[in-house]
Amino acid sequence: MSAGQKLQPSNMAEQAQRRASQENATQNPPVDNSARDGNSSDSHAYEELRHLIVGPEQEGLKEIQERLDDTGRRIDDVSSVVAEAIQKRREQGDNQALSEALAPTIQDTLRESVRRDPHVLADALFPVMGPAIRKSITETLRSMLESFNTALEHSLSWQGLKWRLEAFRTGRPFSEVAMMHSLLFSVEQVFLIHRETGLVLSHVVAPRVATQDPSLVSGMLSAIQQFVKDSFESQRGDNTLDFLEVGELEVWIEQGPGAVLAAVIRGHAPETYRVAMKEALENIQRHYSSALAHFEGDAAPFRPVEDDLTHLLETQFKNDSEKDRRRPRAALIAGAVILALIAIPVGYSVYLLWEWSRFLKVLRQEPGIVVMSYARDGGRYHVQGFRDPLAANPENLLSSAGIDPKTANLELKPFYSFDDPIVLRRANAFLHPPSGVTLSEKDGQLRAEGIATPAFISRFEERAPWIPGVTAVDDSHLQNSEQLELNRLRSSLESTVLLFPIGRAELEPGQENNIAVTQNNIRALLVEAGRLNGKLAIDVIGHTDITGVEGTNLVLSKQRADVIINLLARSGIKPVNLRGRGVGTSEPLHDESTEEGRRFNRSVTFKVAFSPAPPVN
Amino acid sequence: MLEKKICMLGTLAVGKTSLVRRFIEGIYSEDYQTSIGVKVDKKSVREAGQEVKLVLWDIFGEDRFQKVQASYWRGMFGYLLVVDGTRRNTLDEALALNQRVTDTGLKVPAILLVNKADLADQWEIGDDRLAQLTQSGWEIMRTSAKTGENVDAAFSRLTSKMLGK
Repeated sequence: MSAGQKLQPSNMAEQAQRRASQENATQNPPVDNSARDGNSSDSHAYEELRHLIVGPEQEGLKEIQERLDDTGRRIDDVSSVVAEAIQKRREQGDNQALSEALAPTIQDTLRESVRRDPHVLADALFPVMGPAIRKSITETLRSMLESFNTALEHSLSWQGLKWRLEAFRTGRPFSEVAMMHSLLFSVEQVFLIHRETGLVLSHVVAPRVATQDPSLVSGMLSAIQQFVKDSFESQRGDNTLDFLEVGELEVWIEQGPGAVLAAVIRGHAPETYRVAMKEALENIQRHYSSALAHFEGDAAPFRPVEDDLTHLLETQFKNDSEKDRRRPRAALIAGAVILALIAIPVGYSVYLLWEWSRFLKVLRQEPGIVVMSYARDGGRYHVQGFRDPLAANPENLLSSAGIDPKTANLELKPFYSFDDPIVLRRANAFLHPPSGVTLSEKDGQLRAEGIATPAFISRFEERAPWIPGVTAVDDSHLQNSEQLELNRLRSSLESTVLLFPIGRAELEPGQENNIAVTQNNIRALLVEAGRLNGKLAIDVIGHTDITGVEGTNLVLSKQRADVIINLLARSGIKPVNLRGRGVGTSEPLHDESTEEGRRFNRSVTFKVAFSPAPPVN
Repeated sequence: MLEKKICMLGTLAVGKTSLVRRFIEGIYSEDYQTSIGVKVDKKSVREAGQEVKLVLWDIFGEDRFQKVQASYWRGMFGYLLVVDGTRRNTLDEALALNQRVTDTGLKVPAILLVNKADLADQWEIGDDRLAQLTQSGWEIMRTSAKTGENVDAAFSRLTSKMLGK
């Protein structure tokens, strides 16, 4: 229903009156107005009649109107049904709307309540929050303990080992031992004791703490206090025991007029904890002064105190403390400095040693250098041995190893080294090969390759065997620069193969061109040999395949050679330069397993021998 | 649960500690008594349908060299005054001690235990003397720490007196 539709109380009353007068008009005969004006008794009678007829209704309406106009009465009316109305609304199942309507008001109310006096709400919520906080603390501690355990389970630090040993020795779980040592302090138990009787009013214990019967502890603690008080009473007469120390445990005692608060602490709590105890005790004294005074042994009224005491069950770990955090850091820095002081010189020495051993290794591997001994003498190194004059300069080796040559004393006597690189170096120094010639050496065998003048070749052949370290000389790959044409013709002739059919000593047909090239080759060779003033001999070699009898084959091969010699002679080549010989199957040109191979073996080939004229020096 | 502090009072070697040992569950050794003069033990009893935890202060016996510290009985709800039936002087000393208790203004239930009932033939305290004490208002029980006679009964009786029954 919107505001516009609401019926206003005054309107309702007016409408009711109007309706009443209309009804009068219809139910009663019309009255002469002039008569009524003129006759007051009539008017009175009319009023009376009207009163009789609509009076009770009017009274009712008037009462309703008054009731509606009177705010006080309206409040009374609503207040009598407001709870039932809300109840009914909830039963109708429209909680959401109700909650939405009430939420802002309730929130404001709570806010205002806290602003005015936070204690009211705090007190109301205390019984709820205490257990909730306790539960949360218990859970946190348990999970912390577990993670602590796993974290340290694998730690192999010195401390970890020490704790593990202690756990083994005392039979306690490792986590507990680690916890004990990591704790700055932990309040394990708090007692609230009735001062007069020594009876325990309330007692709280941290999770996983083993305790003795609190009644006995409380009684004994009171007895000890009284004992101390009686035994050591001073003139001031207000001596109280407020601190006990038992191994790792401390008992802090705070005295009030009616109650005593005792906290059992593992480790060392800060002085601020004493303040917290004082405040808690003051609070208890204030709230329970009467209960304390009339205590008859029933601790039930003190049950709520448990929450106050639970707040005193504090735990702080070492790494929470600034002081303790600084100490390991300082120790760490000190350790690092000490380590550096030790490590730098040691490291430097180790580096020097390493550098030297590396240098010695290089020196030993260096061709032409032999290390016989080395020693260290006050920062200087001495090396004794031999060095070929052609070997590397040892000072250069020192420099490239990063060592100051001044710190090293190398006594290397000269000798002839037979190391391959040194022998080669020596050969090059001895022979001065021309640019087209390359020398190589392996295991004493000196080899020359390339094209050289006959003068160098003869010098090589003459001098090389005298070079220290050279045991053999190979100049087969050294070409005489003046015999190049002869060599070309020779290779060409020696690669020529003239073919014969099986078992026959006459050329296969179609080799006329081959014969012509061969004849030209031989002629040119004879001309070149004459120019060089040397002596030329050409072997004409006849071959057979392996088929047939060896005796026959030898004869056949000789016949084949003779056929070619005759052929060459007919073309004008003097047989004096040609030597025919038959080798049968003994010098096959090809593998006999195939017909093609066997074909090449039924042939005649050439071998050229040239003896140059002795050089003219 | 109700807790009540009660005290064992009496002179040396009358058997207080033996009576207590018969009765209690404790954690402290008897050395405490000699060092600080008291040992605290406890015992739960059921009396008239109510569970009561008795916190028992066993106070070291008094002799002419050592006076019991008055502070130990402060706040007690009742006490057992123990004497040795075989030694007359223990009764006199106990009564003197009792005087000291009442002088401090304490008015709490008490029972006089005449211990060593097992040695009744050696008693020096006669029946007439006990009757006289009963007349003066003492409730008296004969106990034996050795046989256990009347031990539980004595504590029960004191408890019910403390509960006003």
